[in-house]
Amino acid sequence: MNKLLEISNLSVVIAEDERVLVNDVSFAIEPGEAVGVVGESGSGKTLSALSILGLLARGLKIGSGEVKFQGDNLIQASDETLRKIRGNEIAMIYQDPMTALNPVMKLGDQLLEVLNSHENSIAKPREHVLEGLAAVGIPDPKRAFESYPHEFSGGMRQRVMIAMSLLLSPKLLIADEPTTALDVTIQRQILALVAKERRRRNMSMLWITHDLGVVANLVDRVIVMYAGRIVEVGTVKEIFNSPKHPYTVGLLASLPAADSSKDKLASIPGVPPKPWQVGDSCAFSPRCWKSEENCRSKRPELSDRSASAVACFFPEGSSR
Amino acid sequence: MSLKVDGVIKRYKVRAKKSTISALNGVSLEVKRGETLGIVGESGCGKSTLARLIVGLEPPTEGTLTWNEEVLGKSVRNSLKSHHSKIQLVFQDPYSSLNPRQTIGSCVAEVIKTHQLRAVDQVDSRVTELLSVVGIPMDMKNRFPHQLSGGQRQRVAIARALAAEPDLLVLDEPVSALDVSVRADVMNLLVDLKERFSLTYIFISHDLSMVRHISDEIAVMYLGRIVELGSWSEVLNSPRHPYTRALIDSIPDHTKIQGIDFENVLEGEVPDPANLPNGCAFHLRCPIAKPNCRIEVPALKVAKASHLVACPEVLK
Repeated sequence: MNKLLEISNLSVVIAEDERVLVNDVSFAIEPGEAVGVVGESGSGKTLSALSILGLLARGLKIGSGEVKFQGDNLIQASDETLRKIRGNEIAMIYQDPMTALNPVMKLGDQLLEVLNSHENSIAKPREHVLEGLAAVGIPDPKRAFESYPHEFSGGMRQRVMIAMSLLLSPKLLIADEPTTALDVTIQRQILALVAKERRRRNMSMLWITHDLGVVANLVDRVIVMYAGRIVEVGTVKEIFNSPKHPYTVGLLASLPAADSSKDKLASIPGVPPKPWQVGDSCAFSPRCWKSEENCRSKRPELSDRSASAVACFFPEGSSR
Repeated sequence: MSLKVDGVIKRYKVRAKKSTISALNGVSLEVKRGETLGIVGESGCGKSTLARLIVGLEPPTEGTLTWNEEVLGKSVRNSLKSHHSKIQLVFQDPYSSLNPRQTIGSCVAEVIKTHQLRAVDQVDSRVTELLSVVGIPMDMKNRFPHQLSGGQRQRVAIARALAAEPDLLVLDEPVSALDVSVRADVMNLLVDLKERFSLTYIFISHDLSMVRHISDEIAVMYLGRIVELGSWSEVLNSPRHPYTRALIDSIPDHTKIQGIDFENVLEGEVPDPANLPNGCAFHLRCPIAKPNCRIEVPALKVAKASHLVACPEVLK
């Protein structure tokens, strides 16, 4: 199978002191596949995504690893090559559209800028932008073209961001919690819109979120991250119906279920450690009810590099 | 003993635009002692404004709020020191509600001293007690907020609220800013505290699953009005108002893996509170709106014992 994106052994470190924030992350996305990355703050989910496009903030750098997009290693790519890929073959949408859009530039000009900065065969750019705005449900595209971001609500701004990201029909859309700042009914509109466009274009997607409910209904495969590492990978069904890593199990149990009575919520004691503090142990072991001596002296590796894997010595469902 | 909110209206003048924002357009409700009222709604529905009025941070434009027959918020300054200590507020973001340059111990002690709840020599032991109640180890007393995790900070904010020995706690999105694995812990703590100190809660959130978990009664708000009010099981298991239904449908559910449902997506957005539509504020987005909905503002009417709905169409 041809992978569209293949990340191998990626690590992200703080440049100054080499403290590790993302450690040995490997996963692949196939053409047309939607993958969700789930994790809490500091788990490394956003940094992994930003590394793909070489967008790490100043002060951070890639420590090691490869990011292959259609066979080319993006980590060694020149700025010029990356510029050709960003917004063209790989597009990204962010949590806060207000900071991602230029506040003093008309939306139409911002969208046209995308077309102007990439080689393309679009004959009528203005018409193409107007069509794009209409496709994401902007009520009056011609008026929106002449408007500034502040004239729109959060939901509408996110629609504009999505229109912008889709202008050049990217092969991969990276979404970093694009619905977290939105109200639930608006979130639902945006999720439906993205799911529809993805299906229509057979586009691959990498969806980053802390909300398990969102990925359960949006993606094909889920990656669970904890303290900078992948702890479990599986299909949506595997992760939600038979989670194997105790962290995944705990995370799912801590959500109040729709049909539950008002029992005590299962909680995970403690807080996640900083990735660089973990050392040679399972990062989750201090909070894990299954942990044993072994977990504190040795790090469990992801069981294999196939589609489903877990990094745990005592996964759920294993005989022991 | 109860909190009564009667016909409360709150308007804010926006000087720059010479317009008026109607944050609350006639809200009436009652919370009995020992109960938890959950308030849900999206941004701009007035839920946080209502919280501010209940704790007396601002007076209402019209209407009254009473706690045990005493009128709240008549003169804000006096009430803050007297019976308002009986009503405390916990905010969403524990980082901005705690003073970054004050140790958490002195931050809790401040409340005890202000309200003169303990003799000076007993303040310290009371602080230790309060912190242990919320699960903060004693040796953290001299730490600053930035040295704590988000969950610990929210525990301190709760301890600070408890220090005033309140009867009623208004919790405005108390777990929304926390990480998923920490949320459950704080929710469990809130449930325990309520029982232990026989508290009354008003739990405000946009997250129906949290509200469902903790509430006895639920009020659903839309643009400054309550559109549905009833016991949690009535409101969530047999919702009547079309907005409540849409809200419930919108919660991403991790227990059902079925792909995004493209039907029944609630269209449109919440109208501008500075420019309210005539009639029912929801009619622009409502799937069952009739011509009359554009004219008349629907009143909350009894659908069933202890279940009120502001929609004439579903009550027919």
